[in-house]
Amino acid sequence: MMDTTFVATFAPMVIVLGAALVIFLLDVLGVRQLEAFGAVAVSATAIALLAVLADLGWAPLAILRTIPASAVDAPLGPSLYGVTSLGLVFQAIFLTSALLVSLASLSRPSDEKGAAVFFGLLLMATVGMLLAAVASDLIFLLLSVEITGIATYLLVGYTRKDARSLEAAMKFYIVGALSSALSFFGASLLFGAYGGTSFFTLENGTGVVGYPALALAGFALLIAGLGFKLTLVPFHAWAVDVYDGAPDDVSAFLAGGSKKIGIFAFFLVFVGPVVLAPTLGQWCAGGHCATITLRPTIELALGIIAILTMTVGNLLALQQKEIKRLLAYSSISQAGYMLIGVVVGTAPALAGATLQVFAHVFMKAGAFLVVAAVLGLGVGPRVDDWRGLATRRPYLMFAFAVTLLSLAGIPLTIGFVSKFVLFSAAVQAEGWFVWLAVAGLLNSALSVFYYARVLKTIYLDPLPEAAAKSPRIDDPIGLGRSAAIAIAVLAIVAFGIDPQLVLGGFQSAATHFLLVGA
Amino acid sequence: MTLVAGTILTFLGKERAKYIALGVSVVFLLEVAGLLASYTAWPGPSNGSPGYADLESYPWIHLSWLTINYTVGVDGISLVMILLTAFLQIATVIYSWGETRQPAAYFGLMLLTCLGCFGVFISLDVLLFFLFWEAVLIPMFFLIGFWGGPRRRYAALKFFVYTHVASIVMLVGLLALVFYSGSTSFDFSSIYVAAHGLSATVQVFLFLALLFGFGVKFPIVPFHTWLPDAHVEAPTGASVLLAGLLLKLGGYGLIRWAVEILPTGMSHLTWLLYIIAFSMIVWGSVVALAQRDLKRLVAYSSINHMGIVLLAIAVYSQLGLLAAVLLMFAHGVVSALLFMVSGSVHHTFGTRDISQLGGITPVTPVLATMAMVGSLASLGLPALISFPAEFTALLATWDRIGYWVLVPLVILVVTAAFYLWMMQRVLFGPKRNLPAIVHDLPWFESAGMGILVALIVVYGILPGFLINVIVNSPVYGFPGFP
Repeated sequence: MMDTTFVATFAPMVIVLGAALVIFLLDVLGVRQLEAFGAVAVSATAIALLAVLADLGWAPLAILRTIPASAVDAPLGPSLYGVTSLGLVFQAIFLTSALLVSLASLSRPSDEKGAAVFFGLLLMATVGMLLAAVASDLIFLLLSVEITGIATYLLVGYTRKDARSLEAAMKFYIVGALSSALSFFGASLLFGAYGGTSFFTLENGTGVVGYPALALAGFALLIAGLGFKLTLVPFHAWAVDVYDGAPDDVSAFLAGGSKKIGIFAFFLVFVGPVVLAPTLGQWCAGGHCATITLRPTIELALGIIAILTMTVGNLLALQQKEIKRLLAYSSISQAGYMLIGVVVGTAPALAGATLQVFAHVFMKAGAFLVVAAVLGLGVGPRVDDWRGLATRRPYLMFAFAVTLLSLAGIPLTIGFVSKFVLFSAAVQAEGWFVWLAVAGLLNSALSVFYYARVLKTIYLDPLPEAAAKSPRIDDPIGLGRSAAIAIAVLAIVAFGIDPQLVLGGFQSAATHFLLVGA
Repeated sequence: MTLVAGTILTFLGKERAKYIALGVSVVFLLEVAGLLASYTAWPGPSNGSPGYADLESYPWIHLSWLTINYTVGVDGISLVMILLTAFLQIATVIYSWGETRQPAAYFGLMLLTCLGCFGVFISLDVLLFFLFWEAVLIPMFFLIGFWGGPRRRYAALKFFVYTHVASIVMLVGLLALVFYSGSTSFDFSSIYVAAHGLSATVQVFLFLALLFGFGVKFPIVPFHTWLPDAHVEAPTGASVLLAGLLLKLGGYGLIRWAVEILPTGMSHLTWLLYIIAFSMIVWGSVVALAQRDLKRLVAYSSINHMGIVLLAIAVYSQLGLLAAVLLMFAHGVVSALLFMVSGSVHHTFGTRDISQLGGITPVTPVLATMAMVGSLASLGLPALISFPAEFTALLATWDRIGYWVLVPLVILVVTAAFYLWMMQRVLFGPKRNLPAIVHDLPWFESAGMGILVALIVVYGILPGFLINVIVNSPVYGFPGFP
């Protein structure tokens, strides 16, 4: 019995990993068609996604269900891994982003060099993300994050020719190595403080009494280390150069997919051990003993970081002249919104943050995929180059407009609902969390400026003179890419109109997550 | 529902879009008429608790801590506003018949705007209300930005940013209202009940947030500066909707979500409302007097009229509320007509500059007649629609603050004089600067205006139709409503 659950838990990872190996094998065997690699990647992620959805208890797929319902959200104890429904939700989110990106990448030139490397690494990164979603031990989590990290460093530089992406890859690698070092150092301090690294141990404070300072230092290092992954201010500086320099589809995956591993890591590390854990232990000095609670300190620190991240991201986005950099900064600010969920730490807030992550996959990956398509058509990267593009590519620009409106949080899009739920949850939790909601709302008002400016450029400004001669661009962008963009747009609108489709599930997953305590 | 399907069809309609748009508008008007007919049979505010006709409610987002329903329903106030929406929509579609630039998108956005307004007027759920409120913004942004005048891009962006910031504040206010009152759902009725438990201080703060949120659309001084820009740059059809409907959203929202729910908060802020209302009245008309551009003139006179609406809301009495709603209807129709007139003047003579125009009556008699009716209605001539509305408003003001009523009264007289002077000059003065060949209005422009003129006259003579509907609203049965 135990064994089948074990197999079932890791089945999605095995499927995806197997597909990656198949791709590398095909490459060695001399297959050079991008479509072949792409097809393997798309089908593997799709199958894994179905398996995950089945395990989540989605009725139409009940027959595929492999993990028994009793094993999901079961109390874990000090174990290495365990299946929680929130973890499954995140697996589904990760797989969706990988699926979108590989679908879109099918449309790249068939004889592109390094296609096998691209799809293989994409799947390897996904494996790491899937593993992180079942982690119930800090070291397990950090190793999974590391697997994703190494795959994504290579992914950024996979073209090997473009100096800008190589620079981006190098920068990403150095920052990533530093952040891993910080995280692992933090983990070692926590091990010292608690005598274990499973989240159960951390949460129940069964650790060595008398080392709260050690624990605080450990958590601080983890904030920094994981903060790099999630692009929190002040650990965000790398993100813009990397997103900007990376090949376009890779940017879509980084912003829409792999970054999200950071938010789940924050859920695991901070919600269970910090928000739920009542006290750390006794702090004794000179005969006086006091009970130390880490929660207020860390909450305050995270709250400040969340507000800083939103604000700095938005303020810098305001000044950007290039589309990709603008989207990169907006991505930073979105991470700040997500962090609100961690700080507030109630089930509604976690559900809201999860919805925000879910929304972000479609909004940000969708936006970057459109950018990739437009750049592929020979239009320049500056916002100015996009003047009047709506008349040249009406449908593509409509899709872009939807993603931007959703990022700006305009109603009837999923971006509105996710912010709405998140901010309402903060208000509902009362206390100083209300100010997080206020900061978030002010920030979304601010963000409307730059999104509206891009929309104005695309829809209202006259064509640049060079383009006036050939007003329409009729080159196809490819079926796969169109399909991926269409899915993103449909999801943005459909879940924007009826968020209950997923929100109820997120809410119950978040509730279980808090009950199980990770 | 008709509107939703119709709007989609119009977007897809290419050259046929305008026929579809017209068809949709006619069907919509008939539906509204049906609603109106059934509403008069509705018992009205007898039982004292809030109740609405044609109430529909479906669950939408249900979480343990968050209950949001799709709740819609109408009362007399919203019904009058919906009637205005239906009439303006049909008049605008007809008036814009000659639009050749991307007609499918133009008429589609037009209908989308009206759909948003309709949604705002029927929503009885906070989130739904906010959704429609924002949904109005985007089509209007594109209408101004794409079909507008020379400075359209600036105006569109300014409009978008101003009103969006206001929306955010409004959303904060509404959310705070829901969560602080401990309301069990986002429905109007449960918030209404829950809000009674709020302390006066909280009510004051919430009311302020809502006042700002709704006020920018209103537009209250000093947040009105987007209005002249947006109006002047917008294409005529969009100006009509902007003045006729969008400003009414502000007034309606204030009545529905602030005045009805937070009467205590309002009673502490009456002084502020009076100050704002008086400054709108004075400022709007003084600045209007200084304008040479016909469209700017109408835009600023809108501020003046909306000031009287705010005044009527501020006095907080049965009569005042009636006057406010009536005046909103009147101003919707009259300002729509005047914007159409200035649009047509611009098409016909190539300028809207009052000093360049003169003696147009003999050349374009129909246009001149329309201008005449519009101006006379705007200055409140009896038997035209503004008269009963303004008269009621002044009466209600007199009841409450006595001789202060002289402020709007004097301003009204001055404005009237100014309008008469302008008409004398533009319509009947010596001929000046007229192009050699001038055609009178094309049939569709006359027909569009004709509808509005008919409304002005019919409801001017028989305002009772509207009054009976308005006073049938639940708010008239609210306990404690003076």
